[in-house]
Amino acid sequence: MTRRERNWLLLAPAAAWFFIMLILPLSFVFVFSFGERGDAGGYVAAFTLEQYANLPARFAAFKNTLILAPLGTAAAMLIAYPLAYQLAVRTDPKWRLILLVLVIVPFWTSILIRSYAWIYILGGQGIPRLLESIGIDDVRLIYTPFAVLIGIVYGYLPLMVFPIYVALDRLDKRLLEASADLGARPMTTFFRITLPNSIPGIATGCMLVFILLMGEFLIPALLGGGKVFFVGNALVDLFLQSRNWAFGSAVAMTLIVVMLVTVTLYMRLIARLNTQRDSDVSLM
Amino acid sequence: MAYDAPMEAATPVAELRSVSKSFGSVMAARDLNLAIGQGEFLSFLGPSGCGKTTALRMLAGFETPTEGEVRIAGDVVNDQPSFQRPVNMVFQSYALFPHLTVAQNIAYGLQQKRPRPGRADIKARVAEALETVRLEGFQDRRIWEMSGGQQQRVALARAIVNRPRLLLLDEPLAALDRKLRKEMQIELQDLQRSLGITFVLVTHDQEEALSLSDRICVMRNGEIVQIGSPQELYDRPATRYVADFVGTSNFFEGRIASKDGARARLGLEGGQVLSGSCGPGLNVGDRACMSLRPERILLRSEAGDAGHPVTVQNRIFLGEHTEYLVTSETLGQVIVFAPRQTEQEGLGYNKGDTAWITWRDDAARILLSEQ
Repeated sequence: MTRRERNWLLLAPAAAWFFIMLILPLSFVFVFSFGERGDAGGYVAAFTLEQYANLPARFAAFKNTLILAPLGTAAAMLIAYPLAYQLAVRTDPKWRLILLVLVIVPFWTSILIRSYAWIYILGGQGIPRLLESIGIDDVRLIYTPFAVLIGIVYGYLPLMVFPIYVALDRLDKRLLEASADLGARPMTTFFRITLPNSIPGIATGCMLVFILLMGEFLIPALLGGGKVFFVGNALVDLFLQSRNWAFGSAVAMTLIVVMLVTVTLYMRLIARLNTQRDSDVSLM
Repeated sequence: MAYDAPMEAATPVAELRSVSKSFGSVMAARDLNLAIGQGEFLSFLGPSGCGKTTALRMLAGFETPTEGEVRIAGDVVNDQPSFQRPVNMVFQSYALFPHLTVAQNIAYGLQQKRPRPGRADIKARVAEALETVRLEGFQDRRIWEMSGGQQQRVALARAIVNRPRLLLLDEPLAALDRKLRKEMQIELQDLQRSLGITFVLVTHDQEEALSLSDRICVMRNGEIVQIGSPQELYDRPATRYVADFVGTSNFFEGRIASKDGARARLGLEGGQVLSGSCGPGLNVGDRACMSLRPERILLRSEAGDAGHPVTVQNRIFLGEHTEYLVTSETLGQVIVFAPRQTEQEGLGYNKGDTAWITWRDDAARILLSEQ
């Protein structure tokens, strides 16, 4: 066997997996998106752009997803960064492992159960009731975009903490000493040394969380109560409830295209940030 | 340890006064007293864990002394964070900022000054620093595009561009190969002389300390053992540890038989008595040793006066000199360095030859044995 053949053989299982589980179903979705709904639901072969013309009917789902997914990603990043910083830079190494485990402990319980807990916390018996007791009435939290935002940030926080933690942990701490030695105050050291060197970690975390949020359906279903729904919810509805496979496929294809475009743009931005010269100086 | 007066100038650039530092139950530095004079090149020398790096880090402001005072230009700076001290450091592995260019690394310290120098001023000073370390034209390079020796120069430039009162160097040449290290040693010395900045170097390499320093501060187990010029340490070591660490030496153990001012006689176990110069702190009856540098011993083919008979065990040709290992019944193993001239005169010896060793009286130094 030549080296080339051996390489192909080693790649074969993964290639087969991707073909059967990804390429093939995606091709079906692609074909279905140009078809029509049968009388009793399902799919009837056809070639029409009618499904794509119908997309505005699901505009709200796209709008919610495209607002709440980036917002949730940004919020998770802002909360995760100080936590990861504390763990990687400030915490005594002997406590680090324990604290890191505590970050993932919630993952040991199903997201379903944890989301139900949030329904209670944000619902009438939870925070609104507490607020009432101090005289703030008629606060509605559950089944609002805010509830969905809280849910997704809570659910995806660990995925943001870990890549940032790794980046900060790898950061050579002598660089911070060198910066202080050269006269930089702690804030300057943070913005000119620590932050630029942790961009790869932030980028990875944001990418992970953003991609998963774009396909999220469980949290909006539970905490949005049918009022705040994502594209994921629309798909569940189209495929399982209304059995409109053709329209569902068109929505799915659109989501894939939107995601490809945003992720590509995002990666371009990160690549530029990484190669860009330090913004504070443009010497010579 | 006695307070050591600076070599020149009224106010020392930096001082350690009864400084101790402990990490938990570990004493990293114990009762350090030292004054560093303006323009001096001082080295902390000792094996790893002797406290030399801790001393340097206390000067830099990365560690706070547990006891005592650190003074810079006369002011107590114990509570002053490193970013406020007029001190810059060249780190062991350089700690250059990987996301910045060479010029941006060098400009970093200038940009922190308040009031902040103008853009043109910074640019001019960066260019000047690059010229000083002979890296003109490298300003836009990335750090990872530079070789180890070049990174070393960038680290130097990044520190000296700030014109610190005190430049601290933490094993700056350790990562370089031997030839490059020699070159950089010469450059460091030239740089220190031309800039007039006080240099404080930490090293475990005695050769480096000897060749670069005005004064060397030998440390052991967190304490200063001796401070002196390279020649003082070499010719008049205070203890066996210093004699052993600075250069190579032969040691003959015994007890002080008699003492007369700065001269003493040492009785060896075999009954032989050797005489030599000695420092203060030795009394008759003390366990002591005689230190004899290998290059001060003469290897001869005749007994002459007071020659010790030896058998040549080994001969190693080392280029500029030849190293002989000889054994004597009374002294045990002795290392002798014979300069090239004697070899050329056909006075070489071979393994198994019988010969005699002698030395001038002032070559022998009697020291307290410490173990």
